[in-house]
Amino acid sequence: MPNITFVTADGKRQTVEATAENVMEVAQEHGIPGIDGDCGGVCSCSTCHVKVDEPWVGRLPPAEDLESDTLSFADDVCHCSRLSCQIPVTEELDGLVVHVPPPA
Amino acid sequence: MTQIPDPFKEAKEKGPVLAAEFDGETIPMILKLKDVRAAAKDWETYSSDAPRRVPIPAEENVRTVRQYPLEVDPPEHTAYRKLVEPFFQRPKQPDVKAKIEALIGRLLSDALNRESIDIIHDFAIPLQSHALTYLLNVDEKEAELWISWGIHVFKDGDGESKGPFMEQYSERMFREAEANPGDDFFSVLNAAEVDGRKLTMQEKLGYANIAFAGGRDTIIHTATRIIHYFAQNPKALHCVREHPQMVNTAAEEFFRMFIPLTHLGRVCPHATDVHGHRVEAGGRVSLCWSSANRDPDVFEEPNEVKLDRKPNPHISFGFGVHNCLGAHHARAIMRGLITQLGERVSHIEIQESRELVENEAAYDRMVGYELLTARFTGLPSA
Repeated sequence: MPNITFVTADGKRQTVEATAENVMEVAQEHGIPGIDGDCGGVCSCSTCHVKVDEPWVGRLPPAEDLESDTLSFADDVCHCSRLSCQIPVTEELDGLVVHVPPPA
Repeated sequence: MTQIPDPFKEAKEKGPVLAAEFDGETIPMILKLKDVRAAAKDWETYSSDAPRRVPIPAEENVRTVRQYPLEVDPPEHTAYRKLVEPFFQRPKQPDVKAKIEALIGRLLSDALNRESIDIIHDFAIPLQSHALTYLLNVDEKEAELWISWGIHVFKDGDGESKGPFMEQYSERMFREAEANPGDDFFSVLNAAEVDGRKLTMQEKLGYANIAFAGGRDTIIHTATRIIHYFAQNPKALHCVREHPQMVNTAAEEFFRMFIPLTHLGRVCPHATDVHGHRVEAGGRVSLCWSSANRDPDVFEEPNEVKLDRKPNPHISFGFGVHNCLGAHHARAIMRGLITQLGERVSHIEIQESRELVENEAAYDRMVGYELLTARFTGLPSA
């Protein structure tokens, strides 16, 4: 199982074993604050917004148009921004670091 | 697999816009998901600064107030919305969620004890009205009056609008809250400030207006259609029973498919070309959420209910700065309903039904039921 590190808005780092289908579900299983995932992970809201650590930006499958479009209404979006529900968990993700943006 | 017809299917095949007439006004309806999303984001071209004209048909005859924060554009919109956001986040709190679940449990127990239940008046309307008291943090006894307002405050039953009555009631509630302030919706708005000043009564009434009217027929029709769907598709009920983790995707799919609100309008402050249709300054366009949710370029087999559909980028709660404040509330209610139907109900037999159809010059769209009676049979352990 890959390990994923979440860095929450208060700077806390939490590394967890990822057993769920996507990064949002991993966060929810481990109670990571700030990743609400209101729509349950179907790419219909932007409440699971994370910022992927810079070195990982190019290593993830790129965002589809609809993800980018949905994401455009999250706060404080940058080139590292992704919807965590759209990042499937694979072995290649071992060591991934994502940052949870502060609340609006 | 049940196909649920899309009244905009043919129009979408012909082009991205359907020019439709409403009360003598020709309004281009934007039909495709990406186009609707783009228009919803572009508030400078497609403005909501249009009191009583955001809904289509317009509501100039049924209410006197501008709805806040729906009928305001940024940047003013941001401050107006912020004032009430904490209320609309309440259904995410465990205690509020638990109250909603207990309410559904009580209504289901009642339904299971009857030979026949009127799903609209004895289940969906009480569900919506009581749940709204939890959202607004007011005494639950207020729900009894709200129940009497029917399915749609502005156009229910005998065709008589309850709009003026609702405005009088809201004003009374604000006055009473002034005398006895608490931590309810009315008291919080009485104390609220925007741009360093207190809200006017008209502004407060505008907030109350959408709080009462906006989430009313939408919740009632969605709950009713979910129950009807499970009655017609017992395998789906079995599926959510066997796979309770499917509740979130199932709820989103029902939101996509059963969206009661066909569309909302925007006003073009300047003459605008809307995909080949000219709209003069001050004219309106329609963001057709219900058509966009069936866009075959985005959704595979768009007219089929797939309880595990993922991704499902529907726009049943709108898109952009005006996305629906009541989405958390709607999700809490429908997820609770689906879960408990799965846990407690073996099957549902429809006894009588009559569809409620929105008849317009350019389309007829089924939005819910005006009559639905059924018999619920419980699971042995329920």
